[in-house]
Amino acid sequence: MTEPTATPSDPGDPQHAAATRRVNPVTAHPITSLAIGVLVTAAILGTLIVPIYARETPYIGDFPFFYFYLLIYMPATALVLWIAMLLQRRLKPRRPAGTDTAGTAGDPVPGGVR
Amino acid sequence: MSNVNTVVFTIVVILFVFVTFIGFAAARWRRADDMLHLNEWGLGGRSYGTFIGWFLLGGDLYTAYTFIAVPALVFASGAIGFFAVSYTIMVFPIAFIFLPRLWSVCRVHNYVTPADFIRGRYGSRGLSLAAAFTGILSLLPYIALQLVGIQAVLTVMGVEASSTNTYVKDIPLFVAFVVLAVYTYVSGLRAPAAISFVKDTLIYVFVIVAVFYIPTRLGGWSHIFGAAQTHMAAINPATKKPNGAFIPTSKSVGSTQLDFATLALGSALALFIYPHTITGALATKRRNVVKRNMALLPAYSVLLACIALFGYMALTDKTTAAEVKKADNTQLAVPYLIQHMFPSWFTGISFSAIIIGALVPAAIMAIAAANLFTRNIFKEFFKPDASPRLETRVSQWASLVVKFGALAFAVWLPHTFAINLQLLGGVWILQILVMLVGGLFTRWFHRWALLAGWAAGMIYGTIAAYNVSSPASSHWASSSDIVFGHSVYIGFTAVVINIAASVVLTLILKAVRAPEGADETLPHQYTADPVDAPAPEPAGVGAAASD
Repeated sequence: MTEPTATPSDPGDPQHAAATRRVNPVTAHPITSLAIGVLVTAAILGTLIVPIYARETPYIGDFPFFYFYLLIYMPATALVLWIAMLLQRRLKPRRPAGTDTAGTAGDPVPGGVR
Repeated sequence: MSNVNTVVFTIVVILFVFVTFIGFAAARWRRADDMLHLNEWGLGGRSYGTFIGWFLLGGDLYTAYTFIAVPALVFASGAIGFFAVSYTIMVFPIAFIFLPRLWSVCRVHNYVTPADFIRGRYGSRGLSLAAAFTGILSLLPYIALQLVGIQAVLTVMGVEASSTNTYVKDIPLFVAFVVLAVYTYVSGLRAPAAISFVKDTLIYVFVIVAVFYIPTRLGGWSHIFGAAQTHMAAINPATKKPNGAFIPTSKSVGSTQLDFATLALGSALALFIYPHTITGALATKRRNVVKRNMALLPAYSVLLACIALFGYMALTDKTTAAEVKKADNTQLAVPYLIQHMFPSWFTGISFSAIIIGALVPAAIMAIAAANLFTRNIFKEFFKPDASPRLETRVSQWASLVVKFGALAFAVWLPHTFAINLQLLGGVWILQILVMLVGGLFTRWFHRWALLAGWAAGMIYGTIAAYNVSSPASSHWASSSDIVFGHSVYIGFTAVVINIAASVVLTLILKAVRAPEGADETLPHQYTADPVDAPAPEPAGVGAAASD
């Protein structure tokens, strides 16, 4: 259950043929893809794993750690996702290459995450 | 209406009239040649860029109920209410993974609703009907809750306390809702899109002022947190247990870390599969607009965190806490806090922010439910040859019916009941997670297995939620129940059951080679980014895929 099963469509469809002849961006840029995957996963886990921040101390200013962490985590998530989005742009092939890799070029991010 | 403050009332009425004007004028905004098409009425022409998209999605995701209910939960139970903060953080990285794929495939195939996609992906009318039914079912109480939010404000304003007669009492609410229904009928998604600018501006002004000003009145943040901590630790004489928890505990039952995490994850997974948020996302014009907004929308979550803290502020202010206790309705915490802290003119602006904040999502939800009815029930089962014009007409009328259905919910049912239907709404909508998000990444699942998994999750979730009791009520008492000795969000457990059933049955059905159903989507369409909106008639396979 990793890749969507390629579905038989009209084999004579020229657009179908063109679109399946592409380099898989994940295999073309393994490090960038991995970085995107790590960033997005970390953004989720950092707030999902509650024991990391479910504590009263240390106080930051007047804020107990728990409340401060949640407040500061939001701009951090926004920043991480913005970086992930910029990295994804680098995955885009400049022009469709003529190699015959299987056409299931999934979305770069889930490629890194799943 | 003797105790109504004239200044507050006048400002609320002026701002309401102003957004009503915008709602009707929006019909002419970015006008298309043929407005009688569901892409226009139901999706605003699929034309919004990053800027409008941000306002629209922000206005769509953060509802007045959030502004009222989250601080109410914090007021009543403490830290567990902050699951909403965790959830609105988590939701964006999660949606970043799957939402662009959904956008692309819906754009290529001209899908208007999530059930359209499920129909195309699995070639299954039954599965699509299940998704449409679930979507409408979970939206009705959600719209009703927007009204409950408006009611909370009107109650504190004093405009509905003068009569005990249900009908007289709710006339202001009724008027506001009829006006909303009419301009949604006329302008479609353009109305909430335009009004969201007003909503978001007012909400930002209100929250930023409140978060800096109120603590100065209450002796600073250290005093607010101190008072909250003392209150949560105090023993409640009725239950013989602490009032709440100031930090999620590591025990197994109560406001635990596990409960906190499953509530947050469950709600985060639910948010972007609700039909109204998908409607907002599909109204954008490029794939990148969706992605960019996932990075920009957390700005709203900062607001949500501040609003959650209002719950502690209401607890700290003795007058507010006493009045909420007297009314025995924690949803009044924020309206009372506003009334006690601000001069009349700013109270008027803040109340308008909450009321308008409820109107925007209520309109989008009604449109989303109407689209589901038109596309996946009316057209699918009753009139397969319906023209785009007829589809639009049916959707317009359906949006009215949906609104009045929700109004009936809000007026006649007791509020605790409506709130628990919202809880159920989340539990229900989560059951389309496997077929929708699963289907975006893999065609491995068998359609019949997904249907069975959906049914199992729906049945478990509904029964489990019904059976939760507390000292105060015998049923529908909480959104969490106890599984293997631990407090866990019911929606989360139901989804786990749903996934397990889907996987096991898929393995069996594949072994016996049950018919799979046709898939009209192609792998590259999940990453496509067509520049032009789809043609008015449903596009053929592979049309306009430019990526």
